[in-house]
Amino acid sequence: MSLPGTQRTLAVLTCLWALCPALDAAEPVPASRLSVEIDRLIDAEITASGGKPAPLTSDNDFLRRVTLDLADRLPSPRDATLFELNPDSNKRSQLIERLIDAPEFSASQSRYWRDVIFSRATEVRSRLMIPAFQAWMTEQFEQRQGWDTIVESLVTASGDVRENGATALMFAQGGEAAELAAETSRIFLGIQIQCANCHDHPTDHWKRIQFHQLAAFFPRVRVRPKRNSTPRSFEIVSLDSSPSRNRNTSPQAIAFLFRRFDLNRDGKLVASEVAKTRLAENFQRLLSRGDTDKDGGLSLKEFQKIPPPGNGNRRFDIEHFMPNLAEPDNRGDAVRPVFFATGGRATVGLEDQERRQLLANHITSKSNPWFARAYVNRTWSVLLGQGFTTPIDDMGPQREVTHPEVFERLCRDFADSDYDTRRLFKVIAGTRAYQRQIRHRDPNDATPPFAAAEPSRLRADQIYNALLGVLGADSTSSSRRSLRGRRPSQQGQMMARRQAAGRTLFLSLFGFDPSTPQEDITGNVPQALFLMNSPMIHAAVRAQGNTRLARILRQHAKNDDAVAEVYLLVLSREPSVSELGICRDYIARVGERGEAFEDLMWSLINSSEFLSRR
Amino acid sequence: MTHSSPGTPGTVSRRRILEAVPATALAAGTIGISDVVRVDAEEIKRQGRSMILLWMAGGQSQFETFDPKPGTKNGGPTPAISTAVPGVQLAENWARTASVLDRFSLIRSMTNKEGNHQRASYQLHTGYVPSGSVKHPSLSASIAEQLSDPKFELPPVVSVGRTTGSGFLGVDYEPFTVRTPGQLPQNVAVPVPSQRYLRRLGLLGQLEGEFAGRGGQAVVANHQKLYKKSSRMVLSENVAAFDIAGESDSLKQKYGDTSFGRGCLLARRLVESGVTFVEVVSRGWDTHLDIFDRIAALAEQVDPAVATLVEDLEDRGLLEKTLVVWMGEFGRTPRVNARGGRDHYPRVFSAAVAGGGVRGGQVIGGSTADGSAVADRPVSVPDLFCSVCHSLKVDPRKEHLSPLGRPMKVVDGGEVVQELFG
Repeated sequence: MSLPGTQRTLAVLTCLWALCPALDAAEPVPASRLSVEIDRLIDAEITASGGKPAPLTSDNDFLRRVTLDLADRLPSPRDATLFELNPDSNKRSQLIERLIDAPEFSASQSRYWRDVIFSRATEVRSRLMIPAFQAWMTEQFEQRQGWDTIVESLVTASGDVRENGATALMFAQGGEAAELAAETSRIFLGIQIQCANCHDHPTDHWKRIQFHQLAAFFPRVRVRPKRNSTPRSFEIVSLDSSPSRNRNTSPQAIAFLFRRFDLNRDGKLVASEVAKTRLAENFQRLLSRGDTDKDGGLSLKEFQKIPPPGNGNRRFDIEHFMPNLAEPDNRGDAVRPVFFATGGRATVGLEDQERRQLLANHITSKSNPWFARAYVNRTWSVLLGQGFTTPIDDMGPQREVTHPEVFERLCRDFADSDYDTRRLFKVIAGTRAYQRQIRHRDPNDATPPFAAAEPSRLRADQIYNALLGVLGADSTSSSRRSLRGRRPSQQGQMMARRQAAGRTLFLSLFGFDPSTPQEDITGNVPQALFLMNSPMIHAAVRAQGNTRLARILRQHAKNDDAVAEVYLLVLSREPSVSELGICRDYIARVGERGEAFEDLMWSLINSSEFLSRR
Repeated sequence: MTHSSPGTPGTVSRRRILEAVPATALAAGTIGISDVVRVDAEEIKRQGRSMILLWMAGGQSQFETFDPKPGTKNGGPTPAISTAVPGVQLAENWARTASVLDRFSLIRSMTNKEGNHQRASYQLHTGYVPSGSVKHPSLSASIAEQLSDPKFELPPVVSVGRTTGSGFLGVDYEPFTVRTPGQLPQNVAVPVPSQRYLRRLGLLGQLEGEFAGRGGQAVVANHQKLYKKSSRMVLSENVAAFDIAGESDSLKQKYGDTSFGRGCLLARRLVESGVTFVEVVSRGWDTHLDIFDRIAALAEQVDPAVATLVEDLEDRGLLEKTLVVWMGEFGRTPRVNARGGRDHYPRVFSAAVAGGGVRGGQVIGGSTADGSAVADRPVSVPDLFCSVCHSLKVDPRKEHLSPLGRPMKVVDGGEVVQELFG
């Protein structure tokens, strides 16, 4: 689809970015003014196209939307009532402000980035460090670190993965240079440079060599199991000198090495001689490969003829090699690190930490427009359900971007604010574009996007928190009963562990990669089965005992009131007239009040609205 | 729910034939049933084909299973035993398999490069090495995409134990995971009487109208499709295939009263009912220490289960259309290490295949006397995958677009190992 006037390729914006250096001295515009400016640009384009923006959402819908987006949970029925009754005309921006400043915001951000990084982990064992990553990421947001500082830490991190959560990306990609290049570029620049791994980029002007030059920032990253650690752990280390590959392999050097091991100077190495040296472990293998005269020892000649270990094994490479595709067995040419987006280079032979630091500097430099773009595009799509490009993490100079001025304005402001994440959330959530009603979008409709909100699927954490909110503490009552008699602290700990385990299971069932375009997120059969049939949901929608539903039924004798309460609890809104009608009919038809309300509660929890951001 | 056998042994489902034929053609009487069979011969040849993957997670040692080297330095203490195939030996502990080895082709010259568990498991399930940028579909998903009947109520891919997902082929072919084989899977049993269940579903459908009308119509339509599929499954009689309670005790005993044994029995029941691909996982093959004792213990579970599975499929006339592949992600080192174990070794390893048109009673390729390399007729992962596709009449070169728009074949490269079918 091509829409002249409203879409432009990113190459044009890149030229603009280079032409207008950041205005350091300028006083930053207040966030609210920027929101207004953004709306003016968007509305102008929509009107120009002949479209009409959707009206603003109701207070109920807004409260639910913004609470889910910024705190990963549903508003309580009490929140909903208070918000609706609040006469203050600034109540929406006050609420945004309050939610962004609350600790829940930081926790929500850390969960989101956990999903971004670990959904594409090629090293499955990296999941063991998820708690460490979440704690670290939450702390970064709590301390109000700029996005540049956070990314710098992620790109340069080393150490024990259970102690340093910043090692997440390094561990998730197993320290593999090519994978690290691909994911660094995708996540922090929004560019899928790895398409140029084997050939020049099919849709953009990136060359194959540029991908490998990016990978050349990472060839010395290694993941090592940590010895004697309980629980089992790993560490990210730098391999700055190769134990074999880059060793001097001249005959003289080998002869020198030989003499060091040949303790009795008889010109032959035998097992007893090397027993306490580093040759000991592999000596039998060396013998089997090198002992041509089968005398049980290695002469200097035999020793020199042993081919170097790990031929074709990248484990010892401390530089990145671009494979020659015509000769797959040849490791190819060593490549120098160059940052493709700005042309920033590094000298040959830098140590791992220096290389990665240099790369972090290049990535977060204000002369690199892609850094701000990747974050702004992602944040916009989290809040508006769709990015300026689709998919959000596959931008490039030849890609078309919708609402280019808006995108440019937000990126510029994000860079000028020193990558202040909270400010960006505040600006976007403050726009009318964010606060519009949802509307079905006809695929043939030529109106530019963001004329209306689009419903999107809730992330697993949001659904889990919503379920906990709806079902109340009662969902864990069975475990509480079984724990009666224990000391409270112990009981609390066990409950916490049980809940953590429950959450993990739930997340593995409902989780998805947040970089996936919304239309590709459809849910699956096991998720539906969980919501329909799981004992947890079944127990929690019961009309007897001390469930939320039972309490509602006791407190509200009139069915209409009880229906309204159930709606408020599950969907954070009152039922419409027609819904109330359907419910009345149903209750009458079933004849048994408790049973009918159980079915109603079950239906609302299983509804698409419950699983959607509206 | 009362138990009923989901299919009559040895018959082609009549319903399936009828579904393959346009109803109008039959009604108009323009073609007789014999023409139908001829017209759709190719279609029917594909139908009912299925695969069972017996996955030895951790990497199965070839020396203690399919490629024993008794009396050699690398062979270890395990003796070899003779089998139903003259001149072909298996390692001790596999007596039941030995008795049905004439149904199997052994491939002793599998060769690959990945020696890391996850990477190799991914590759032996998808045909591709892992990459952060694209989630390749597992072979099971690619097979189901071509073979499965969308009207069938059960998931086309079922795995007893965790496995690799359907990647970019999406939710329709995502493996349905069974944790406790032999009984109904989690959340499949309906917690209320089915009358009430249907009534609930009706209420849900009515109440969805509001959100659909307020802008959520696309989301609602998709959600209803999913709920229809899910509820159709749990209310289907076919779901009884998951429950082995109705099988005779003697057969259950033959499979073995173990998780793997029940998994294999479940695999037969699922294939019989129409599931396209079933994987049964056996764990514990990563034998870095005490390999001889540990494989003896594993064989006690796996040996009777696999042998019984092949016999059972054969008895029911299912073996001809069901390909059974038995392998792990790599083999193990020729040298026995200091802890009495063997380490990872992808350079040469073994796999066994049966059914699905495979000619039994033969050995393909071989390893060197010391077991360190392929001596004859190397078989790569793509070669094996092409052979699987050949058996199932699946097109290995069919291309699917990855989310980034890159066309990817079901199997990239490789050739059919023709001897398997000769």
